Amino acid sequence: MEDAEIIGLYWQRDQRAIDETHGKYGGFLTTIAWNILRSHGDAEECVNDTYLRAWNAIPPARPSAFRAWLGRIVRNLSLDRWKRDRAARRGGGEMEVLLGELDACVPAPRGVERTLEDQEIAALISAFLRTLSQESRALFLRRYWYGQDIGEIAGALGCGESKVKSALFRTRKALRHYLEDEGVCL
Amino acid sequence: MLMNGKGERLFRILGLVDEDLIEAAAPTRPSAVRQLRRPGRWRRPLAAAACAAVLCAAALGYLAAGGLPGLGSSGPEAGGAPADGSAQGAPAAFSSYAGPVFPLSTVETDVSLTAERTVSWDFSPGTYGDGSPRQWGAAVTDRYVLANASAEDVTVTALYPFAASLADLGALSPTVTVGGEEVEAALSAGAYAGGFRDAGEGDGSTWDLAPPAQWTDHAALLEDGSYLAQALGDAPALDVPVTVYRFSDFAAPHERYRAATQAVAFPVDPAETTVLSYGFNGLSWDTETLWRQYDYFVPDGVRGESELKLLLVLGEDIGDYRLQGYADGSCEEAIDGVSCTVSREETTLDAVLWELCRWELAQADSAAWPGLETLDPALYHRAAAQALLSAGLLADAPADRYADGRLDDFLWDVLAQERVMYLSFPVTVPAGGSATVAAAYWKAPSYDFPGEGDGDLQGYDLVTALGSTLDFTALRVALADAGGVELVWQDWGLQLSGGTAEAALDPSAPHYSLVVRPLSP
Repeated sequence: MEDAEIIGLYWQRDQRAIDETHGKYGGFLTTIAWNILRSHGDAEECVNDTYLRAWNAIPPARPSAFRAWLGRIVRNLSLDRWKRDRAARRGGGEMEVLLGELDACVPAPRGVERTLEDQEIAALISAFLRTLSQESRALFLRRYWYGQDIGEIAGALGCGESKVKSALFRTRKALRHYLEDEGVCL
Repeated sequence: MLMNGKGERLFRILGLVDEDLIEAAAPTRPSAVRQLRRPGRWRRPLAAAACAAVLCAAALGYLAAGGLPGLGSSGPEAGGAPADGSAQGAPAAFSSYAGPVFPLSTVETDVSLTAERTVSWDFSPGTYGDGSPRQWGAAVTDRYVLANASAEDVTVTALYPFAASLADLGALSPTVTVGGEEVEAALSAGAYAGGFRDAGEGDGSTWDLAPPAQWTDHAALLEDGSYLAQALGDAPALDVPVTVYRFSDFAAPHERYRAATQAVAFPVDPAETTVLSYGFNGLSWDTETLWRQYDYFVPDGVRGESELKLLLVLGEDIGDYRLQGYADGSCEEAIDGVSCTVSREETTLDAVLWELCRWELAQADSAAWPGLETLDPALYHRAAAQALLSAGLLADAPADRYADGRLDDFLWDVLAQERVMYLSFPVTVPAGGSATVAAAYWKAPSYDFPGEGDGDLQGYDLVTALGSTLDFTALRVALADAGGVELVWQDWGLQLSGGTAEAALDPSAPHYSLVVRPLSP
């Protein structure tokens, strides 16, 4: 079923919207949730929560890129759950590592920073990503958007982990300089 | 504030980058189920997860307008499932199976007691934390009249089985009465009642838990008596010599490196040495040089990191090791100023397991797991030892799930895995007379996750004689305060009237089930 048809079901308040969404994007969403949570049970529940959010948001929303829109929701829900679980029990894990890596992208204060909305910063990052090679861009987004681990990225792209690590390191460093040059403050 | 606050914000901002970039970088196929567990996972909050699922179920309840899976497309009528009481069109398995209500039994196998059984299900609604009504689960009272036709008094050790995890005991443990007086019952825990399965790839691996999914799974588990015998038998001995490396006195330049990491690396011959870890977040190894590296985020007194960090070496000792500090968990940027004290001791695995079980319980989140802090450490230790030998790294064929030797995850699984528990207590039935025994507890329902099955249905199973030594001569079921639920499917022959109903069932049938749907407030 086309995305527009699925969204149409949501607008009609037809429960098949959930089934169609799950059938088409359940695996995709579970991938993202799993990458962040590393727990099948938790990932499953975040995906279910994503369907509930979608049901509540459509209408009035009519997302133009349905898959990425859903992915954004499950990503945020998974991060929230990860934080909650981590606070309740203990830290550690792949997500901690990933966020630690992103810390390296945070621009150093220079005293002339701009305070921007998240959407504005995201637009700047989009522009930055478009300056990268297709491969570097894919590596970066697979790691920091889809939450894949280094080994999985290397396996999927047919290269060594050391190459993935060094490419990500270069991109993080470049992003940091880019954000500093743009005067972005996080 | 959590560590990685800015990294976290950047992670969220990245979620907003242009959608065409996201699409272009998307993995070509979903890989979640292929993704294997890696060191550094954290625990699954089952209670909270279940609660969240319930909330979603309630919110999505109105979505579930169709029929029950397995019943065809037409919606079942209230109280009107198979009128002849047959099991025709029995409901499909639920996503989350709560296990059946089991029958009373005895330790002694040659008793000559008959039993009349009455199981009542009270559906009085509870409340959520905000005081709003919550129609979830039922208060079950399982009553028995035991009769002794012989000329001599009969004293037995009664066994009341129930399905639960160790972590659930605070909320699910039954209260037992004999002759109307509450008795103190000893608690025994059976082994994990499920198995393991692959993570969806059909590759025969054992990365995921496969808990019991329907009553027949429990039937297969209990019918030959070996499960009970193991539950009541001696605890397994773990007097395995182990060398423990204990890490303490942590220091790191936290003001500059918020994810400062301590790594310890050493060569390991896996044919000669098995290493288990506790409190470590990362593990990497080189299959050619046999060097292995464990790492942890240096505790900073702010994060919820365990300050108990152990490496347990079984077999040949590891010898020299190398310590190195890093800027973060990727262990790429070496830094100075990260330090710890490492002490070495020789003891037994049993002793270390005791320490870890006590530590785990002391760290338990009592809000998420009411009563967990009061769990008998001996029960936990026994279950952990049993699991180490049956599925952990000490098993003949360890589950892939535990292949990394990370005891943090393993010990949590031991707490969260479904089991059959047994309450044992003495009962004397006088010659030519009878004695009443009752077990009362709150029973969670089986249910479907939102988006699966029919969403807001709640299922209950009753098994009649499974594993029991008693001769059941009568079986009755009763519902009370059921005005807040609709009977969607049953093979009990109940007709609700004023929120109550009762019926006599054939005790020779092995199993009965009931499915209800909460009515909208």
